[in-house]
Amino acid sequence: MIDVALAQKSGGDLAEHSLSLSMRQTFALAKRSTLELFRQPALVVPSMLFPLFFAMLGNSSFGRTTSLPGFPKVDSYLQFQLAGTITQGVLFGSVTGAAALATDIQNGFFDRLLAAPTSRTGILLGRLAGSTLFGALQTAVFVFVLMPFGASVSAGIPGVLAMIVSGALISLAVGALMSSVALKTGSAEAVQGTFPLLFILLFFSSAFFPRETMSGAYQTIAGLNPISYLVEGLRALSLEGFTASATARAILVPLAIAIVALGIANSQLRSRLRKH
Amino acid sequence: MQTIISTRSIGDQDLHTTTMRSSFGLVKRSLINTRRLPSAFLPSLAMPMFNMIAFSGTFFAITKMPGFPTDRSVNWFMPLGLAMGSAFSGVALGFSLIRDLENGFYDRLRMSPTSRLSLVVGPVIATWIRVTLVAAIVFVAAFLLGARPTSGVLSYICSLIAALGIATIGAGWGLGLAYRFQDMRGAAIMQLSIFVTMFLSTAQVPLDVMTGWLHTVARVSPVTNIFRLARAGWVNESSPDYMSWSNVYGGLLAIVILSALSLTFAMRSLQQIDN
Repeated sequence: MIDVALAQKSGGDLAEHSLSLSMRQTFALAKRSTLELFRQPALVVPSMLFPLFFAMLGNSSFGRTTSLPGFPKVDSYLQFQLAGTITQGVLFGSVTGAAALATDIQNGFFDRLLAAPTSRTGILLGRLAGSTLFGALQTAVFVFVLMPFGASVSAGIPGVLAMIVSGALISLAVGALMSSVALKTGSAEAVQGTFPLLFILLFFSSAFFPRETMSGAYQTIAGLNPISYLVEGLRALSLEGFTASATARAILVPLAIAIVALGIANSQLRSRLRKH
Repeated sequence: MQTIISTRSIGDQDLHTTTMRSSFGLVKRSLINTRRLPSAFLPSLAMPMFNMIAFSGTFFAITKMPGFPTDRSVNWFMPLGLAMGSAFSGVALGFSLIRDLENGFYDRLRMSPTSRLSLVVGPVIATWIRVTLVAAIVFVAAFLLGARPTSGVLSYICSLIAALGIATIGAGWGLGLAYRFQDMRGAAIMQLSIFVTMFLSTAQVPLDVMTGWLHTVARVSPVTNIFRLARAGWVNESSPDYMSWSNVYGGLLAIVILSALSLTFAMRSLQQIDN
């Protein structure tokens, strides 16, 4: 009886120790992926500057279109555009993170991790943590840079915080999907090759113009496009204020997509592990 | 007699013949590459098609603005798509040159008694052929999407001239940067600079619709004149930008000046390599 109790206790300690080790490993890999992103400005600067350029360009180009029928009530086009800018930047940033995972596979670092007693899930989560953090940072930068130019957030400071969480979740969702491609193909080129697809998805969504102003097939495609719902959740915080509905849409939509995407990425990871 | 012929100095006519022959050799090589490597050509076709379709659909509502020069969004955005595709076709020359520099093919060209001018003229002519092919496909696709010219054949001719002009400017710029950097560092500058230059003009909306800093920049940008030329046959007859000599002249002049500048930049950069 005492032996059984001792065995159960030691089993419990072992599980606890294993969990703690797994957390430490995931944290170390997350730190590595974050530092890797910030130490290579050439990789991250374009996903910061391009969306800002497009936002300023859009504000000057489409500033007068906010009076068109179907356009929501906004203070400026930039206020409408803020959500699109965040989504655009986060989408492009996530590709960079996934391409880094593919590079790890190509240059053998992934195999070295597998040869070591490393937590398998930690390899994926560690990589995604870097992208998620970068997504949060991008969102904060876009909000604070564009705010003085008219991109006001009706939801105030709580709304900005919710937007940052939402940006991080979008980054996690897209990063997980792109990581699936990286794990499936093991090729950074293949991951970069999905970039045009993201670009097309972004343009055929309500990121730059409201769905209500579109017509025919374009409106249908934008209605089916998940990017539209990611953008509109963020936009609700920007335009409607800090309401339960707006916050739920901004957080729950990317969270749901992130859960599905993580499931797909995890399944791709298991599939790659079976091949080893 | 044979000795006399072989030792005489190369005259202007011989040099001209050598330049043309070498240029057409390079044109042939480029076109064969297009056939053998369609993956390198397809982005040049995909970009204008995507731009035209995506912009026409997303920004469909801007044609409802008072005073917008056309009521068909595809009429407005087709020339933009074609211009973007042409610019990147031109810049793509820089990418292929970098590949040639890296894999040693270019050194072999330099070692041969090839005219230096042909190293610029040949690829530019090949780009014109590719852009004309892309333009033909884009015109058909635009027609199917509802684009209707308002000046008949002249509409197509003006858009094609603008596309060829932009391709030439892009080619000169791309080749020049490739000669200067000789590696993929130049590629990022090529893409970024062309992208920014194109959009800091009336690429998306007419001057009357713009506000703030962009209006100031676009008003003085020569690319605005090129877009006016490209769209002259696609805007309504009541528009001040409708087909007329005064509306196309500025675009033609901008093409000639910018092409001359960019090709001179390419030739100067090439001379730097030789030195």
